[in-house]
Amino acid sequence: MSDEVSRGGQTVRLWVSWLVVGSLLGYGVVQTLITAAKLFTH
Amino acid sequence: MLSALDRRHTVAPPGYSRWLIPPAALAIHLCIGQVYATSVYKNSLIAHFDASQTAVGVIFSIAIVMLGLSAAVAGTWVEANGPRKAMFVSACFWAAGFLVGSLGIATKQLWLLYLGYGVLGGIGLGIGYISPVSTLIKWFPDRPGLATGLAIMGFGGGAMVASPLSRQLLSFYDPGYDPSNAGSVASGNALVWLFVTLGLGYFVVMMFGVFNVRVPAADWKPAGFDPSRVAAKPMVTTANVSAANALRTRSFWLLWVVLFCNVTAGIGILEQASPMIQDFFRDGRTSAVTVAAAGGFVGLLSLFNMAGRFVWSSTSDVIGRKPIYVVYLGVGMVLYTLLALFGQTATALFVLLACVIISFYGGGFATIPAYLRDLFGTYQVGAIHGRLLTAWSAAGVAGPLIVNAFLDAQGKPGTLTAAAYRPALFTMVGVLAVGFVANLLVRPVPQRFHEPAGGRGDGTGSEPVAAERSGTR
Repeated sequence: MSDEVSRGGQTVRLWVSWLVVGSLLGYGVVQTLITAAKLFTH
Repeated sequence: MLSALDRRHTVAPPGYSRWLIPPAALAIHLCIGQVYATSVYKNSLIAHFDASQTAVGVIFSIAIVMLGLSAAVAGTWVEANGPRKAMFVSACFWAAGFLVGSLGIATKQLWLLYLGYGVLGGIGLGIGYISPVSTLIKWFPDRPGLATGLAIMGFGGGAMVASPLSRQLLSFYDPGYDPSNAGSVASGNALVWLFVTLGLGYFVVMMFGVFNVRVPAADWKPAGFDPSRVAAKPMVTTANVSAANALRTRSFWLLWVVLFCNVTAGIGILEQASPMIQDFFRDGRTSAVTVAAAGGFVGLLSLFNMAGRFVWSSTSDVIGRKPIYVVYLGVGMVLYTLLALFGQTATALFVLLACVIISFYGGGFATIPAYLRDLFGTYQVGAIHGRLLTAWSAAGVAGPLIVNAFLDAQGKPGTLTAAAYRPALFTMVGVLAVGFVANLLVRPVPQRFHEPAGGRGDGTGSEPVAAERSGTR
């Protein structure tokens, strides 16, 4: 392990990490919103 | 090879961003949260095994019991070995659970599904649930509620991801399966491939967590963080209490009661959500709320359950842990009473009350690790959290039992009205009142339970957050 992290590498890692979990969570939220909308449309 | 996953090999180098830790924790919790989406393929499993509802429902129950047991038993191991090894082991058990389960489906051996998804998967659940908690608390000594709220929000979100994903995968593997029809049944072959896909997919996502998670160095503290401000709060300790000693304190058992009451009340509504909204607006044999609309209500509750975990837990960083539980339990009592007395007057009012109640339920889960950290310090907070989760297992049995017992006494499903729910809802008000009193009785842990200064509490059991200590012991 390097003693100091590279700033550029870490920025990419931050983006990728948040993108992965954000995409998963976003998919779940959108799908659930579509289901929840039935409460108001049925 | 596993030594590469050890705590000592995962100490963050200088400059490592602490904002890499929440997505690492989310990667784990988003995957294991799938356990609350098992109802999606329950009918298909019943048809495939030609088994009863109970025989298939037991799979979920085994997994939840194993969650509580493994979190309680493995908590100290998780603290000693660090989050990376714990996450890796969790991923192995979770994925193995799906793979062994798929073998059980393929060979029509139900016991293999019990062993796979129930036992192995349940162990993965328990270890995975607690694995990132103490690490997050150490990285975010200034905002522990926000940090644990983010992770535990993922557990709520996991079911929201898994439900539609499982339906879409089943439809992909079995074109005859209709994902929009809750009664549709998928073939055994589609179930096998669903389990294989989920097992492998979740393993890959959980490896993101394993790869990114680090423990902070002993002398690390966030920029601008002043540990003396922590010491200034009366309900926040700068000392440390071991998991073994925590069990000997009154505060631990009071918190056990608080969590038990909060979860019991919330589960009572969650478990009954779909028939409940239909029954509240029933006129004779028909309800003004359709089955599809009731499904929408369940979806809305999932969103509030998830959002409450983040919003309320973050709020606890500002107003304090004890006050936020006063809100969860005290305001919860008022909301349950309003639901029982006036819930049937308007759908919007019913939905609003239920959504806020469920947001408190989620908030209770997410805030408890930060409450434990305030009382017992960071030394073995993960292990203490693991032991406290037995309250969840107990509430998982008690909540549905209370509600179902009252409803069974009131009449048959499909004939119940709002009045039939009043005894159960007023009982929940009483349960919340017990939790409310228990929370008020919580006091700082006496000094005789603290780890000695410079002793184990500062050592390897968990990475010390030396900067948090202000030497007030």
